[in-house]
Amino acid sequence: MKDGKERYLQTPDLDVQAPPWKHNPSSWRHRVPICLLAGVAFLIASYMALYQWRLINNVWDPVFGAQTQKVLDSKVSEQIRRWLHVPDAALGAVAYLGDAMLGLAGSTRRWQYRPWMVLLFSLDVIPLGMVSAILVVLQGVAVGAWCFLCLVTAGISLILIALAYDEAWSSLLYLRRVWRKTRSTRILWNTFWGWPSRAADEAAQVTKGGS
Amino acid sequence: MWARVIEIMLGFWLVISPFIFHHPADQKTLWINDLSCGFATVALALFSLWYPLRYAHLALIGVALWLIGFGYLTSPYPSPPALQNNILVGLLLLMLAIVPNEASLPPQSWRDFSSEEKSSKDRISGGA
Repeated sequence: MKDGKERYLQTPDLDVQAPPWKHNPSSWRHRVPICLLAGVAFLIASYMALYQWRLINNVWDPVFGAQTQKVLDSKVSEQIRRWLHVPDAALGAVAYLGDAMLGLAGSTRRWQYRPWMVLLFSLDVIPLGMVSAILVVLQGVAVGAWCFLCLVTAGISLILIALAYDEAWSSLLYLRRVWRKTRSTRILWNTFWGWPSRAADEAAQVTKGGS
Repeated sequence: MWARVIEIMLGFWLVISPFIFHHPADQKTLWINDLSCGFATVALALFSLWYPLRYAHLALIGVALWLIGFGYLTSPYPSPPALQNNILVGLLLLMLAIVPNEASLPPQSWRDFSSEEKSSKDRISGGA
């Protein structure tokens, strides 16, 4: 007989393959590198924000030298600060920290059990990452100066996209299977927010042994 | 639980913010805002650790939006550090508030679902 406590502690198999992949994109092996990289980008962006706040007086740049300061003090950057009230580097730092935190949250089967979390995380990583990478390049073109650390963070953004898209894709396909199976907006809505149903469980089509 | 711990630390940061950013004594709104939001954050994060109030952390979304809105709407240009602090703490709080308590486990509802599935399978196969 299973008593209440044992039932409470029972968790479903978490290490499963997430279609369409042969691996589990929600496993720690796939998520921890994303969090570490995002953490590095967070530190770099915070460092540049410190300069924009003038808490430090110059910025390290082994390649473009003083050009970095020109970029960080540019008209574009000032305009963004006028609109948003905080330096653009600080906003970038918040976004990277968000990547790292939302990357850490959730079980290793979250593509099925918490699609909202995976999709929010992916929104932070994919569209926001693309926009920031494009902005960095545009800034180089518009200002006529380049900033080594900005380019590093833009590069990290692109790597993060490559590392994170598979999990988002699993979640989206799973939601589509739930929709095709049930044609019920209510079940789709519940599945999105992580409420179980037999239909959703079947639509997950998991195979054991992903890692 | 890690999200709740960071929220508590952020709450204390807000509570000591008036002293760090040297709010002038006549700026009552800044003082009241930082102190009340800080204490509310600590309280809501602590409440979420108590099972009957486990969803209290979702109310932090409200605190976070308030902080961001307050910072944006009352800020002149260039924005004083105290208000930039409000905006940034608000953004961080917004991301933390949505992280569930048992963040590394599946939602309780899915755990219940799968253990029921398992026990009904056991019954059919004549197991325990």
